[in-house]
Amino acid sequence: MPNEKELYGLLSDAVVGMDEDGAASLSRRAVDEGVDAYEAIDQGLADGMERAGALFEEEEYFIPELLMCSDAMYAGLDVLRPHIKADVGADRRKVVIGVVEGDTHDIGKNLVKIMLESSGFDIVDLGRDVPPARFVEEAISQKADVIGLSTLMTTTMAGMRRVIELLEEAGARDRVKVMVGGGPVSKSFADKIGADGYSKNAAEAVRLARELTGTAGPEARAAAF
Amino acid sequence: MTMDDLSPKERISRAFDKKTVDRPPVVCPGGMMNAAIVEVMERGGNRLPEAHFSPELMAALSRDVREGTGFENYGVPFCMTVEAEVLGSEVDHGTLECEPKIRKERYADVSEAGGIDAAGALRRGRVAAVAEAVSRIAAKGGDVPVIGSVTGPISLAASLVDPMSFLKGLRKDSANAHRVLAAVTDFLVGYARLLAESGADAISIGDPTATGEILGPKMFEEYALRYINKLIDGIRVTGVPVIAHICGRLDSVKGYIPAIRAQAISADALVNLRLLKAEFPQLTTMGNLSTFTLEFGDPEKVARQTELLLRDGIDIIAPACGLSTSSSLDNIRALTGTVKGGA
Repeated sequence: MPNEKELYGLLSDAVVGMDEDGAASLSRRAVDEGVDAYEAIDQGLADGMERAGALFEEEEYFIPELLMCSDAMYAGLDVLRPHIKADVGADRRKVVIGVVEGDTHDIGKNLVKIMLESSGFDIVDLGRDVPPARFVEEAISQKADVIGLSTLMTTTMAGMRRVIELLEEAGARDRVKVMVGGGPVSKSFADKIGADGYSKNAAEAVRLARELTGTAGPEARAAAF
Repeated sequence: MTMDDLSPKERISRAFDKKTVDRPPVVCPGGMMNAAIVEVMERGGNRLPEAHFSPELMAALSRDVREGTGFENYGVPFCMTVEAEVLGSEVDHGTLECEPKIRKERYADVSEAGGIDAAGALRRGRVAAVAEAVSRIAAKGGDVPVIGSVTGPISLAASLVDPMSFLKGLRKDSANAHRVLAAVTDFLVGYARLLAESGADAISIGDPTATGEILGPKMFEEYALRYINKLIDGIRVTGVPVIAHICGRLDSVKGYIPAIRAQAISADALVNLRLLKAEFPQLTTMGNLSTFTLEFGDPEKVARQTELLLRDGIDIIAPACGLSTSSSLDNIRALTGTVKGGA
């Protein structure tokens, strides 16, 4: 298959270029041509999302652009996912994510979810306005590796502290890492409440989650699909 | 008349006009930036969520807030869901501690959001209650200004249309995005004028979704700047001054800030107002005592940070963003007391 590499590049470009239809039709082409679906996701779609994340960090892209890129990525994933060989992606790390009770917005959380998902993490999305106890219950029952807490408002920051207290009370603090992020949150706040890490944006959240779970590197990336 | 005799109304009016004052006013405008903290409500007995609905309670709570905290204004309402609710989104009205929020946006997509009935909405629901509260407060307010707070166009549109879909719509369906924003801005002009006619001395616009960090400079200019100015122009024809609060870091959109036609620009805690003033001396700056410090700090720390704002010549002193309802009254009094000179 001489043009595989070219196809991966085109898939990646379609994601970076916010081209939803292009990503879907290129993915269908990959299937038709018998390209390995896992590789097409890893080297194509996920690579594009990683480039989009870099552009976001460089302030070339902002949230609307990143969302458009993720739509293109998901359009491709919908086509490719059914064609992944079954043995791939068994051992992936799980992140329970949500917006702490009291917040009105979930934009940041959704971005983190998209970036983590495209980086090989298995995401349990609890949505917005989640009570602290629910994070802990889900993390324990789902055997999650990480809890990701997001907020845009100072009003919910006490809830973040509560999640960590509840984890301790449940005797699960050593099994579950806690990462926090969002507008009003800072590294010093994360340290103060005893979180394992803080990230200031969605791209950084990926690096942090990899660090916390010991899954650095792109080889872990496409496992989620 | 000496400067010491300035009433709160005169002082803020002079600050808006960039005239000399004895000291800056210290205010909390209401809306997303309101000081209806738990401690005030428990002392005064006028409580949320009930006060979101009743003009009598809303007015009474705004008096409790002013008397308890020392802020030099009345500010209503106590949330930023009044507008979205009357235009058809589902709202969770929250509790004593927890502010209201949108439960479900009315529209899934900007292309569906035609037919917003701006004129009809002005006569309905909590819009009428807020207007009635403003007129009750103004009737007995004396020399203390009443600030009416409204939600900015981008945030209102993102409370009517699913926010993720709305943000994408700005990029891929700009015709419909502009249509929605024009409609909500028309409604907001009507609402703000209603508050002005009811006796508001100033209108404050909070638009937390319209940040440079979310939108980037290009879309900030195309959408946020355009519609906030349309709203401001619509209010200013009534002669009532306007405060615009911009959330988040300003870096990527700083150049557009002087183009906002409000009398005062309020900024978030991350913004160095001293540098902003130095770069754009024509601005009347407002802010920006960290709400993190107000919640987690102590009165000494609040006082020290307030001193810095005074030293930097910030024109109107205010919290930097929305206050937590669990902020302590002692901390807030340290803010207002320091501005007033330890009074």
